[in-house]
Amino acid sequence: MVLRIRLARFGNKHNPFFNIVVAQARSARGAKPLEVIGTYNPIPKRPTNLYEENANARPYKEIALDRSRAKYWLGVGAQPSDPVWKLMSMAGLVAPKPTTFDKA
Amino acid sequence: MAPRIQSRSVSNTLLPYLTSTSSSSSTTSVPSLFSTPSQCLSRQFSATAAPQTKLRRQMFEWLSTEGAALKHHIPGETNYLTRLKQRGGSDGPDSRRPFPNNQNFISEPILSEELRNEVYNRVVTKGQSVRVVSVDLGIDMQRIAAVVRLVELEQRQRKQGKPLALPYARAIHEMVPTTPLAEQGERQQFHEPINDLPAHPLTGTQIFYPVPESRSFTRVEAGRVFSAAPAMEHSEAGAISHPSDLAEKIIENPNATGWVGKGDNRRQILQPADVRIPHPHLVSLERDRITNPKERLAVADAHAKRLERQDAAEKRRRERAAARREQMQTIVSPEESRFDYRIKDTVYTAETTGKDGRAPWAIGRRYGVPHRDRTRGEVKIPTRVDA
Repeated sequence: MVLRIRLARFGNKHNPFFNIVVAQARSARGAKPLEVIGTYNPIPKRPTNLYEENANARPYKEIALDRSRAKYWLGVGAQPSDPVWKLMSMAGLVAPKPTTFDKA
Repeated sequence: MAPRIQSRSVSNTLLPYLTSTSSSSSTTSVPSLFSTPSQCLSRQFSATAAPQTKLRRQMFEWLSTEGAALKHHIPGETNYLTRLKQRGGSDGPDSRRPFPNNQNFISEPILSEELRNEVYNRVVTKGQSVRVVSVDLGIDMQRIAAVVRLVELEQRQRKQGKPLALPYARAIHEMVPTTPLAEQGERQQFHEPINDLPAHPLTGTQIFYPVPESRSFTRVEAGRVFSAAPAMEHSEAGAISHPSDLAEKIIENPNATGWVGKGDNRRQILQPADVRIPHPHLVSLERDRITNPKERLAVADAHAKRLERQDAAEKRRRERAAARREQMQTIVSPEESRFDYRIKDTVYTAETTGKDGRAPWAIGRRYGVPHRDRTRGEVKIPTRVDA
């Protein structure tokens, strides 16, 4: 069966928080995964306005990722879902997913 | 749903919103601001809002007679209720007590404008360390850090042309006690005690701990007893001549305190107060002064060197921590996105998540562990802000 690296939603209403998990593709979103390899907080945080260098800083989102486990699971054929692909391409683990424009 | 009872207390809450004409529509004459008690008695069955309660009337009475003296403050003096009782000299013992019935409350002074700017000058322009400035001016280190941040903020707001609440600040500074900056050649008045230490919760327990008479038992050992750590080796304990000797070692390496307990229960061994106070070097200085009363210059020199060493050690530690943080985190700023992404390296192994993956220190949300954010007594107020 296909292994997927995907997001599992935690948190409350209007307050999402995701674990980046390795799970069987057909298991439920909230089911216990094979492994948790990271977290992703989609709520942007704003740097405090206290320091000069922060004055024009962009808001940021936090990702935590175990790179070596991610590499291992990619190596044994786990397929990242689209959102995880985006996060992993930013971390430099996979090439950015080709857009439909590129494919055509 | 609120009960539909037209009692006086309910209608009185509407008082500020009712005009005098609408509230007295049932009465033929418009009641004056200070209605007499007899008038109140006569309308005790009336459902119409009373134009004035007794307390409110008394308040206005007081404001127009006795309280009129407090209407305008005298610059440089407090404008507290206690001034009325004192009559005359305002520098009496009550000038810093705002509440006549609470003699234990004393309003503490705030930093004057000049002292505040002096703190900023010393730290930012002259590049003195926060620790040194704190000892020189008698201001808590945290307050110094706050002053530097706030003055910087003020300067930025001035640069951006944002309005500042200067009249407000001026008025407040006139009305509360302030610590002035010393004139040239004068001795600086200390703002607050700088070496205070809150009682550690571990020391609250009563422990019966028998010690052989022949054994030395110092504050260092007492700390170990409080944190349930095994006693030190004799050779190790003998090497400590005074508890404050430990301070320098621990400033250089905070892990030198030692740890007890396993897993979730792991904690640092409680150190003696000599180590935990904000300025442990002041204890060493005082001890040097007592042992060598005649060599003042040499003592001052040794103290300056000690401070330099400690500052350098702290700087090294901060740099190491910053480098570690830098190494752990990469910041990606995609051009097509409005956001930066901070990618932190983590390790998910049995050590970091526990054997069953449910360790409380594990990163991320965990499976099979009840989320306790709605349990009673759970405090959700954040205790720190990453700036």
